[in-house]
Amino acid sequence: MNEYAAVLIFLFVGIGVVLFTFFLARLVRPSNPYKAKNQNYECAEPPIGSGWIQFNNRFYIFALIFVVFDVEAIFLFPWAVAFGQLGLYALIEMIIFIVILLFGLFYAWKKGVLKWV
Amino acid sequence: MLQYLALASILFAIGIFGVLTRRNTIGILMSLELMFNAVNINLVTFNKYIGPDNLTGQIFATFVIVVAAAEAVVGLAIVLLLYRNWRGIEVDRINLMKW
Amino acid sequence: MTDQNWSILIPEIFLFIWALFIFGLDLGIKRKNPKILGYSAMAGLTITGILLAIFNGGILFKGMFQSDQLAIFFKVIFIGSAFMAVGSSFDIASEKIRHHRGEYYGLILFSTVGMMFLSSASELITLYIGMELTTIPLYVLAAFYKDDKLSVEAGLKYLIVGAFSSAILLYGLSLLYGLTGTTDIVTMKINLSLVFLSYGKIGPGLILAMIMVIAGIGFKLALVPFHMWAPDVYQGAPTPITAFLSVGSKAAGVVAFARIFVNGLIAFASDVMKPLDWGIIVAILAAAAMILGNITALRQRNIKRMLAYSSIAQIGYVMVGMVAASELGIASVGYYMFIYLFANMGAFTIATIFNDKTGSDGIISYSGLSKTSPIFAAYMSIFLLSLAGIPPLGGFAAKYLVFAAGIQAGYTWLVIVALLTSVVSLYYYANIIKTMYFSAEEPTIKIHPSFPANLVLLISVIGIILFGIFPGPILDWALESAKIFAF
Repeated sequence: MNEYAAVLIFLFVGIGVVLFTFFLARLVRPSNPYKAKNQNYECAEPPIGSGWIQFNNRFYIFALIFVVFDVEAIFLFPWAVAFGQLGLYALIEMIIFIVILLFGLFYAWKKGVLKWV
Repeated sequence: MLQYLALASILFAIGIFGVLTRRNTIGILMSLELMFNAVNINLVTFNKYIGPDNLTGQIFATFVIVVAAAEAVVGLAIVLLLYRNWRGIEVDRINLMKW
Repeated sequence: MTDQNWSILIPEIFLFIWALFIFGLDLGIKRKNPKILGYSAMAGLTITGILLAIFNGGILFKGMFQSDQLAIFFKVIFIGSAFMAVGSSFDIASEKIRHHRGEYYGLILFSTVGMMFLSSASELITLYIGMELTTIPLYVLAAFYKDDKLSVEAGLKYLIVGAFSSAILLYGLSLLYGLTGTTDIVTMKINLSLVFLSYGKIGPGLILAMIMVIAGIGFKLALVPFHMWAPDVYQGAPTPITAFLSVGSKAAGVVAFARIFVNGLIAFASDVMKPLDWGIIVAILAAAAMILGNITALRQRNIKRMLAYSSIAQIGYVMVGMVAASELGIASVGYYMFIYLFANMGAFTIATIFNDKTGSDGIISYSGLSKTSPIFAAYMSIFLLSLAGIPPLGGFAAKYLVFAAGIQAGYTWLVIVALLTSVVSLYYYANIIKTMYFSAEEPTIKIHPSFPANLVLLISVIGIILFGIFPGPILDWALESAKIFAF
């Protein structure tokens, strides 16, 4: 249980430091709000429209491709942990696996999915 | 052990409820993920209490995660098609075929 | 680790690489020669069949993958259904899916690989992976007409129901794993028997697990009451895919069911096990499927929907053989699926060609077909009569065997239901034949299928007639394959 106590202490100290700095800043800084200061910050330009816009759904396709490759990486973890005992056999299998995944990426690329039209 | 299984069954039930009642397709897909993850909790729990030295349950869970991701991606791609054809993704509008 | 008999995996590996090759080919050839992809898919399936004849028999990965007679028998059905689905796709491939032909054929092959794995799986993880590899490409294929609302709707419905059912199936499998501590089906059987013998009872967990597994696989098989998706998906999906769904994916469900229940949980299929007897549950579902499928099919105006309800009923007949859980029962299931392959693929191929020509799936638009295209009207009649079970076609022998197995196992009431409902089914099958031959309307349409579609039709007709008159070789093989369950 002692290790967890350390985590808990760390957590409280972390929160405490952040709160303390906020409090300190509040004490030191001048309070002078005006209209321009209260606006949303967007690269020094006045913001156009709401922040809640619909993203272009081209992002969506990238996201889909990402999800597949991201989750397939889960197989790498057990493989990496047991790599020492598995040896060459597993290395070759993993290479085949990754080549198949790469083929998928290559196909998507060639089909023009990754192009920003 | 029982509390983990109870958690899994509650999650599973929430997932079923979500699939049956949600109108938004994305919501349905999320509920499906919930069901798959309930199964994962089950598998990992059984693995821990039955034979911790044998990783069958955890391997099974790994495969379930990957397959669920593949299923979700196909689902999201179909959602994209829905949006293109219907300009909306509410399931109760998608009912061209009945009986 | 390496001292295993890898060669039995060669057909699957080959088909998988061939599918990747087709994807690559699609990138390479652009659209100069549209037919080459289809022909190469057919060639790949043929080579896989030959490889299957050479490399079989044995186990791999400590029994996770076994290439026994049952697996090979069903693999032939899967390869055959994929071959026929590809063959009947040529017309739509040149028109409706011009830009995605490679994906279309490649995904059919992926799905076939999944079915082949599924039929070889003697262990729950492999079984689950095989099942998902079967269905995930099918979700995509069902929604393949991207701008056709019906097809997209079919894809969505199939996806939601498919994922829902696999979640339920998985929950059941996880409970089975929890109850037995293993995912190997044979070890599972032994462990369950040991627990049963030492305590004299098994808790409600097993009942829950069995109900969930039945529901999960029941969804894939479109058994009543898990059938609601089937008509919509069958109607909306591209017709060759519908055919592939109704034969390939169903046969896959059947083999998964046989592996889990007839092999793993066989001990619980008897009256002694009252609350745990899965046989009676499945028998009731089968009866419901036959009654509801046949009666609802009566009022369908769309041929794809009618065939969907008819296939719901057909799976009911298959389940009669399954609940018999005997050597004859499993053999009759195999034989039934084999004949069903020819009859259903043939009927759907005609529907594909017809839809391609006329853009209509209505039964009424088939009127007068016998005058313009007598050969295809005759083919269609043969397929439908075989589905109805008229001698001397294959469907008769198949139904006869299934009923015999049912009676032998003491399910007389179920066989009576089956007999009565097949009389009902004759009405709607004959209705189409009547429309084709005796309609007063002037015929307008003449159909000219492409060469591969013609080939598929010819194979189907020959298969139905030949194996109907001489059921011997297939039946012997099916009996051989049923031996692996050691009843």
